[in-house]
Amino acid sequence: MPRTPIEVPHKIEYLSILNEKGEVDTKLEPKIEPKQLKEMYRWMLLARRVDERLLKLQRQGRIGTFPQATGHEAISLGSIVNLKPSDWHVPAYRELAGFLYRGWPLESILIYWMGYEEGAQPPEGTNDLPIAVPVSSQLLHAAGLGMANNLQGDKNVVVTYFGDGGSSEGDCHEAMNFAAVFDAPVVFVCLNNQFAISVPIAKQMKNKTIAQRAIAYGMDGIRVDGNDVLAMYVATKEAVEKARRGEGPTLIEALTYRYTPHTTADDPSRYRNEDVSKEWAAKEPLIRFEKYLKAKKVMTDAEKQTMEEEIEARINEAITNAEEATKHPPLSDPLVMFDYLYKDMPDYLSLQRDELAKALGISEADDSKKNEASTAKRGG
Amino acid sequence: MVFEFKLPDVGEGIHEAEVLAIKVKEGDSVKEYQPMFDVETDKAVVEITAPVTGVVDKIKVKVGDMAKVGNVMITFNTTGGASAPAAEKVVEKETAKTALNSSAAASTALKALGQNVATGNGKGAATIEAKAPTFAGPVPAAPATRRLARELGVDLKLVNGSGTGGRVLKEDIRAYAEGIPGAGRTIQSSGTASPSAHRHAPAARTGSGSSAETLEPLSREPLTLSPFELPDFSKYGSVERVPLRSLRRKIAMNMAQSWTHVPHVAHFDQIDITDIEHYRQKHEKSVASHGGKLTLTVLALKAIVSALKKYPQFNTSLDEQTSEIIYKQYYNIGIAVATERGLIVPVIKNVDQKSIIDLSVELADLAQKTRDGKIELDRLQGGTFTITNIGAIGGTGMMPMVNYPEVAIFGMAKSRPEPVVRNGEIVIRNILNVTMSFDHRVADGAEAAYFVRHVSECLEDPFKLLLEA
Repeated sequence: MPRTPIEVPHKIEYLSILNEKGEVDTKLEPKIEPKQLKEMYRWMLLARRVDERLLKLQRQGRIGTFPQATGHEAISLGSIVNLKPSDWHVPAYRELAGFLYRGWPLESILIYWMGYEEGAQPPEGTNDLPIAVPVSSQLLHAAGLGMANNLQGDKNVVVTYFGDGGSSEGDCHEAMNFAAVFDAPVVFVCLNNQFAISVPIAKQMKNKTIAQRAIAYGMDGIRVDGNDVLAMYVATKEAVEKARRGEGPTLIEALTYRYTPHTTADDPSRYRNEDVSKEWAAKEPLIRFEKYLKAKKVMTDAEKQTMEEEIEARINEAITNAEEATKHPPLSDPLVMFDYLYKDMPDYLSLQRDELAKALGISEADDSKKNEASTAKRGG
Repeated sequence: MVFEFKLPDVGEGIHEAEVLAIKVKEGDSVKEYQPMFDVETDKAVVEITAPVTGVVDKIKVKVGDMAKVGNVMITFNTTGGASAPAAEKVVEKETAKTALNSSAAASTALKALGQNVATGNGKGAATIEAKAPTFAGPVPAAPATRRLARELGVDLKLVNGSGTGGRVLKEDIRAYAEGIPGAGRTIQSSGTASPSAHRHAPAARTGSGSSAETLEPLSREPLTLSPFELPDFSKYGSVERVPLRSLRRKIAMNMAQSWTHVPHVAHFDQIDITDIEHYRQKHEKSVASHGGKLTLTVLALKAIVSALKKYPQFNTSLDEQTSEIIYKQYYNIGIAVATERGLIVPVIKNVDQKSIIDLSVELADLAQKTRDGKIELDRLQGGTFTITNIGAIGGTGMMPMVNYPEVAIFGMAKSRPEPVVRNGEIVIRNILNVTMSFDHRVADGAEAAYFVRHVSECLEDPFKLLLEA
């Protein structure tokens, strides 16, 4: 009956490759084709410009409440580029760059924030889940998908995202424990932007890092500069390759700062010192990546300018397409919202559907005629 | 064609917003996404950009207006459809398509949406045709209500729910079990209303209504219970109407809250500050060398905290909902500061733990930052008691209003040399008139008199202040 120490591994690495001045650590620098580097920048810039435009549209009343993703582009993009289309992308809600990279049409993203669930339909040919609003619920889906991949022996990997707030949820514990116990090929990317809505990280946890929790689960953990796209790329590449070899999950804590309000319905100046926000502004991911690309002569000012113009044109086009789509069936027909949940509609839902039809002045006859017509048209 | 822009819900569940700035004029040509208005909701200040490209026809709001969601703020003359400008741009840039998601991919995706819905929709329609809708969903009731029903052997489906949306309440179950026919609704109309019905009923503001009713908190608008209909002042001379804006509006709301919630009583006293004033002047310079300003207010801070420790009922708030007095075990004193924008009350935290020099430095900084409009938000919150000093301006006394939900405020007028009687003789002494207004619900006049006497003694005798503070 002795009292003896138990050895527990207790070191966590921090990884940063490209610092805020755009200086690169050449020993750690990943070998990425110049063309691919430029593409990575393009996706990040697209995500940034879309985010800025979404804010304007929200203030004009053209879309609903949404969470901004400005400043989080490196986390989402630096990790997602390591996935094959057959791998699983299990996002939270600030992975705009990842959604775009995975081939979600910009129109879908716009339609989603306009309030149409049709926008949450993943594009054909990718293994993506839609945005998860209930915090950390997606981590359980990711762990389950990883375990299923093992059962099927398909070598596909799951990358999932959550925030520092999500890390305080019970679901997070369950997902990580199961993933570790069953060697599930899951990469848990924690976007630590230091705020769970208004609760700062210091009021959420006593531990130094989120990454160190990996030790407790018996998996690898690493803290990464979340504003450094190269570090995100390297850390995720290692984790994905390891998962594909059957060596289990990894926890990547991507340290960043929430540059924006939590959502468009929030005013952070009420609960945090915005002088700190200004200090972080200099560390955001696009500026340093641009400096790096220019120093490497991968991208010129003129090329960036062209990129900006193409992106603006694409955003304008997508807004026109999305707004046009909402004027016509199926999006213009509110009654279709009843059609998705059950194979056979329960009585109480059909009663509600009829009540809504009545309130909207759509008679039963019109309704079924319209259904027939549209079914015929779409079916043919 | 004319395009009307209505104020959208720029937050989440916003009903109105104050117009802070208008950045376009009637007749201006504006481009889509050009900044148009700054508006302030109860959540944040936000910028609204133009939703269309066109010429501004009419601006229907003024700076300072409270616009309701759905109100038309501005109208535009646009050429063609509202979304035409964006569409034209697309055509211009047709050649600019690249590796980004092309519009072809997008239209495929949209088509896919359509197909998917077609399948779903067909099923839905078939279900409706096949079955006559009969409601078979669960009866709405809380778990505790369900348990009560089980215990009393009552079938929930047979009970008339009197709650919102037909929700069955515990009272309904009991009434049904006791055999009152038509249970729910009967109860509501007979006066022993269910708790939820009670809450939603407009509060009785006159007569001898129960205290729970008269203490119902004011809603955000209107400012007064029933706005007074004003005469037409312009009949007697020219007038100008200025909107109640930002800080002025907030002060008005706060004062209306304080006045309607707090039964105010004011207690007056005089303090002989001749001696302490002597010491103050003597040490002014050494405090200044620390960057502070040794004022009478700083000394009053110490005296007040000493009194609050002795009479803690003045360091409380009244919870009207639970009928409890909340004693605060910290001493955060607010100082009323007059600024160009209006009255602001920044707070000095934990006054009991700070030295007079510390307080002199902090108060000087607090007042300056407040006047400059640079005070940090967290220094405006958490006060437990307020001091207001109008001595710099003048006056022989005032009756300050309690900074609700605090329960007391200490007012200091201008001190001046006055003839007073000491030991049967008239002497000239430096006299300060003070007032303490307080909430008579949590304390009585005698307690306030003791409190003010304690403050007076501390300020009359610096040694006493040293002993007590």
